[in-house]
Amino acid sequence: MAPLLCIEKLRVTFRTRYGEVTALDSISMHVNEGETLGVVGESGCGKSITALATMGLIPSPPGRIADGSIQLAGEELIGANSARLRKLRGGDIAMIFQEPMTSLNPVFTVGDQIAEAITLHQNVSADRAFTDAVALLDRVGIPSPDRRARDYPHQLSGGMRQRVMIAMAVSCRPKVLIADEPTTALDVTVQAQIFDLLNEIQRDFGAAIILITHDMGAISEMADRVAVMYAGRVIEEGSADSILDQPQHPYARGLIDCIPTLGRAERTLKEIPGVVPPLHLLGAGCAFAERCAFNDRARCTTEKPRLIDHGHHPAACHGVEESRL
Amino acid sequence: MSERALNKAESPALEAWRIFRRNVPALIGVVILTVIVLATLYGSFIYTGDAFEIVWAPHEPPGVTPDFPLGTDYLGRSVVAGMLTGGGPTLAVGAAAAAITMVIGVTLGALAGFHGGWVDNLLMRITEFFQVLPALLFAMVLVTLFSPSLLTIAIAIGVVSWPQTARLTRAEFLKVKELEYVTAARAIGARDARIIWKVILPNAAPPLIVSATLTIGVAILFEAGLSFLGLGDPNVMSWGLMIGANRDYILDAWWPVTFPGLAIFLTVFAVSLIGDGLNDAFNPKMRER
Amino acid sequence: MTRLLEVRDLTVQFALPRPGLFAPKPYLEAVRSVSFSLEKGRALGIVGESGSGKTTTAMAAIRLTAASGGQVLFEGSDLLKLSDEEMRRRRRDVALIFQDPYSSLNPRARVTDIVREPMDLMGIGTREERQARVVELFELVGLRPDQLNLFPHQFSGGQRQRISIARALTTNPRLLVCDEPVSALDVAIQAQILNLLDRLKAELGLSYLFISHDLGVVRHICEDVAVMYLGKIVEAAPCEALFDAPQHPYTQALLSAAPSLARRKSKGYVRPLKLTGDPPSPLNPPKGCAFAERCPKAQDLCRQTQPELSVRGATHVACHFPG
Repeated sequence: MAPLLCIEKLRVTFRTRYGEVTALDSISMHVNEGETLGVVGESGCGKSITALATMGLIPSPPGRIADGSIQLAGEELIGANSARLRKLRGGDIAMIFQEPMTSLNPVFTVGDQIAEAITLHQNVSADRAFTDAVALLDRVGIPSPDRRARDYPHQLSGGMRQRVMIAMAVSCRPKVLIADEPTTALDVTVQAQIFDLLNEIQRDFGAAIILITHDMGAISEMADRVAVMYAGRVIEEGSADSILDQPQHPYARGLIDCIPTLGRAERTLKEIPGVVPPLHLLGAGCAFAERCAFNDRARCTTEKPRLIDHGHHPAACHGVEESRL
Repeated sequence: MSERALNKAESPALEAWRIFRRNVPALIGVVILTVIVLATLYGSFIYTGDAFEIVWAPHEPPGVTPDFPLGTDYLGRSVVAGMLTGGGPTLAVGAAAAAITMVIGVTLGALAGFHGGWVDNLLMRITEFFQVLPALLFAMVLVTLFSPSLLTIAIAIGVVSWPQTARLTRAEFLKVKELEYVTAARAIGARDARIIWKVILPNAAPPLIVSATLTIGVAILFEAGLSFLGLGDPNVMSWGLMIGANRDYILDAWWPVTFPGLAIFLTVFAVSLIGDGLNDAFNPKMRER
Repeated sequence: MTRLLEVRDLTVQFALPRPGLFAPKPYLEAVRSVSFSLEKGRALGIVGESGSGKTTTAMAAIRLTAASGGQVLFEGSDLLKLSDEEMRRRRRDVALIFQDPYSSLNPRARVTDIVREPMDLMGIGTREERQARVVELFELVGLRPDQLNLFPHQFSGGQRQRISIARALTTNPRLLVCDEPVSALDVAIQAQILNLLDRLKAELGLSYLFISHDLGVVRHICEDVAVMYLGKIVEAAPCEALFDAPQHPYTQALLSAAPSLARRKSKGYVRPLKLTGDPPSPLNPPKGCAFAERCPKAQDLCRQTQPELSVRGATHVACHFPG
């Protein structure tokens, strides 16, 4: 069965004061129906740009999709006309953002906003749409939904606002739901509630979820498969279990090891030194070489490693590649 | 963060200048204003005579007599002499009035915004009182009470223009004082005065600088307005005075009114261009361009 | 062990706008009679969610927020009783690190001036001595001396947090209040800063009052931990005890909510304890236990009477039915 959403060799560039930089360097990833793909990496790795590109929301200028393809159920999205993309956004592909307060319109009630999302994509009456909106609020676990539907966003807590965003996103039964750091602004107990809700929604609606996060803990709880991104490239890809148990790329291993755990405390955390290099300073070699403890091969600074399967799952690292030979 | 960028300290002010100097309209403003300032500065050296002196027949059109390239007014005074010597007082009053506006407005706005509570309440009620006074009428009253001179005119303009600056300063202070580096300053034991003037004010400054620039433009118009109404200093030539004196004869002779009017327009226009340029230069969103 | 800081019955109230012209001014009680102590050379973590009053507690303890009652004994003297000027002088002994490395440094000052300023304010040393100290601090926190004259915006988030730490250490303080010092940083950078804080604590014998919502971070850096809910401490214990055997249902819920590598989607985990809803409003705190309406164990007693902190093994817990 062909994957539901398939991104092939996608290249996105941005015009900056340093000239044209490559924000996404021919990345490929896919997600199947009913599956959660976790996209993980530090800020500046290209996670959010991947999401925006999929939504057809790359700001242009300065951004530009230079190459590649994004297919949703066999339909090419790159180059599709804007009317078609508008129909898909909020219809077949929906997105929830990090900050629910700024993504909701403060001057309309949340019920009206969900109802509007419904009438935009479905041919139903306004009354029917509002009834549906209340049902959705109930579905996402908001107590006394018919009263809450008449509230304005500022009257709700952060967790409730994120539930409203989820209700709005699933209102048209999307095939793909993109969640960009959906819980970063929320408290841990609320985060747990939102994670559980997303998993339930997936079971009920069968939607594919793309979860963008920097937290390997979230990946562990939510993802079936994982793509690890670094400096605009996918550097490791595989099933969540395989990546969490046998990370191949030193960066993927670093992201797992640097989390302080709740178990017995180890005195020194394994840290990844340095920071993500700015895109305009990427050289010919591996973008991670500067921060890598295993960068002793000449190739690390002269040649970009390719994403190759070395046994467990594909990873882009010269070190891993050579140790397999 | 690149190694290259790290080796050179780039202050926020330097960065603003980098953006400003690429802004063509703002640079045009700088050029116009420079020409006007230089002309009025050196004008008094070129025309050493008294601009009030009657030197020729009245209403000589421009371009006829080489000595009076801009013609003469209804009394036979040289327009070009008035233009050159009248610019200085106009600009000086504009600058002085803007300075007075900023001193009063920033001080009161800063105290109100920083302290809040009853200080804020009191100062803002005073501000509102001045804001609801009809500015031009109030300035006219002040100038008539204290015989018109460049200083009293500048003070009058300053006294009626500060409320806006005070409100802007207060708004900026309210915004900046919530930021963590202000708490950080308190946490290391800085006194209030230091926090107000050394920590908050420099960070609240960009919109205030823009507003000061625009205030100069408004003050110049104000001065012209007062002179036009005959409330300027009668002993000092100014562009406003020229317009006011010649306005009755504009149908017979357009030039004694048009040229100073054009000069005022160009000055205010140039100042506005510079103000807009500064506004863009201080706007963080323009940084990455 | 010597006691560095002891907070007794600290209470913070915020005045709210009057609802009517002659109505009495309502108060919001953000911190309700909180007591804890911090031993020299140790770190006490204060854990809680937004609105729990953890930051307000720390800010009131070092008088950056006005307390409405209680005592803060720092090395034996009550900070709340000092005059403003005495407190200002005392600030050299207590320092603060903030959450947001982007807004905690004055964008218009060079970092060398930022780090030197506490010495200028306290009148410590000669100009040369101060400058030498700045260089020393830069090296201590892992920055290069050739970066001294740069401005904050020229640094990354992690580097700015290092600058913030250098500024905090300038006057050789004995207490460092860390308000969520790593939660705004990327995970990889978090580990760098935590290791730095850990090293400095050991090398300089510092004590930390460490505010965080992240249990893993607190587990890593602190010896003791207090959990706050709606302005009160609901459980306080040495880290080992609290993480191994949490007594309060809220602590248990927090632990089961924290994302963990041990829980896999593929294995179909079920959270041992799920919370619903949000904490009650501090404007209208419930009569009984604040956690009662979300608590799986709540009984009538919980809704009627507030539980007080009581000793249970190594733990202090405020719950009618702990364990």
